Amino acid sequence: MDTKTLIAEAKARFNHNSAKAYLAEKYKNKLIVAEQGGLWKADPATISFLDSFDTPQLVLIDTFDNPVQVYRKELLEKLKQVYESTMTEWYIEWKELEGKR
Amino acid sequence: MNRGVILFAFNSKKYNYYDMAEYTAKRINHFLDLPVTLVTDEQSLPAYSKYSWDEIIKVTPDKNNFRDWGQWINKGRYQAFELSPYEETILLDADYVVNSSKLLKTFETYNDFCCHSKTNFLMYPDAPQEVLSAYSYETLWATVVTFKKTKRAEQIFQCLEMVQKNYEHYANIHSFVAGTYRNDYALTLALRIANGHCVLPGDYIPWDLVHVGRNTQVYKNNDDELDTEYTVIFDNWKKGKIRKEYITIKDMDFHVMNKDIFVEMING
Repeated sequence: MDTKTLIAEAKARFNHNSAKAYLAEKYKNKLIVAEQGGLWKADPATISFLDSFDTPQLVLIDTFDNPVQVYRKELLEKLKQVYESTMTEWYIEWKELEGKR
Repeated sequence: MNRGVILFAFNSKKYNYYDMAEYTAKRINHFLDLPVTLVTDEQSLPAYSKYSWDEIIKVTPDKNNFRDWGQWINKGRYQAFELSPYEETILLDADYVVNSSKLLKTFETYNDFCCHSKTNFLMYPDAPQEVLSAYSYETLWATVVTFKKTKRAEQIFQCLEMVQKNYEHYANIHSFVAGTYRNDYALTLALRIANGHCVLPGDYIPWDLVHVGRNTQVYKNNDDELDTEYTVIFDNWKKGKIRKEYITIKDMDFHVMNKDIFVEMING
């Protein structure tokens, strides 16, 4: 029996909240970046913070709560790239999911 | 640095863990591009298999462990450090379904040892984290353990052996039931002991272990052996009635707690 028939016969309802949580779980870890001896999250706060400085080097607290001296521009570029690609994938899958409402 | 995965599989009367391990190994080869070593016993090895393991290591397992559904041969996981032929190893449960290259990231994020400290149940996102007991620690998970052959990692595995061999004693101290030996509990205690009862955040994988738990069924959407799309159906009990709910998932690793579901997945 294919899964579509299975869903229909079981009268199963699509659980939007669980699907949303699954997507968050799936993409959250893709935003984690190991770079320059630290572990970072490619999130808006970190990207904005890095962007607000103009010094070549900066000390940041990584996700393990360790201070790490980083080359600001290089880390910023890496985080922006990871953020953009991950969020685009997330958005595409989210739109597919929204269509199931 | 040579890297690989090690799986432990000992067949019981109820479950063929060799088949589970072979299914998982093929997915590891495909998604992680890593060689897989199997630790097993003579009785579990089939007479013939097309699958080519990187290495097969035969040991004599301690079969003295039981749970509600029967014999559960899960002791001796501490031997992974000694038996692994790799400098960097992922020690994986045979019932972990690899659907992505996510586990490779553990090699980038750890120092020399890491495991999961948080879990997330598909279809039950608000489930509380398991604890050893009300008076003890949150459980760590032995489902995925990545380690390097360092002195510290060796000490952690030595502690794991010590906890396994004195499980009742630790169960008394931490107020959990010692009847069934669990690697998760032993690892929780071993890592704490090895770290001088401190928490080192770097020892934890920075994302959650995704479980398929109770009342949840997983069905493959396609017959292709390496397909990564599944339908997850959950029996949501409300006011004495079951309401079936589902989602579809894609490219996501998960750990199947119910072995019957895993066996169904293998058999299509």
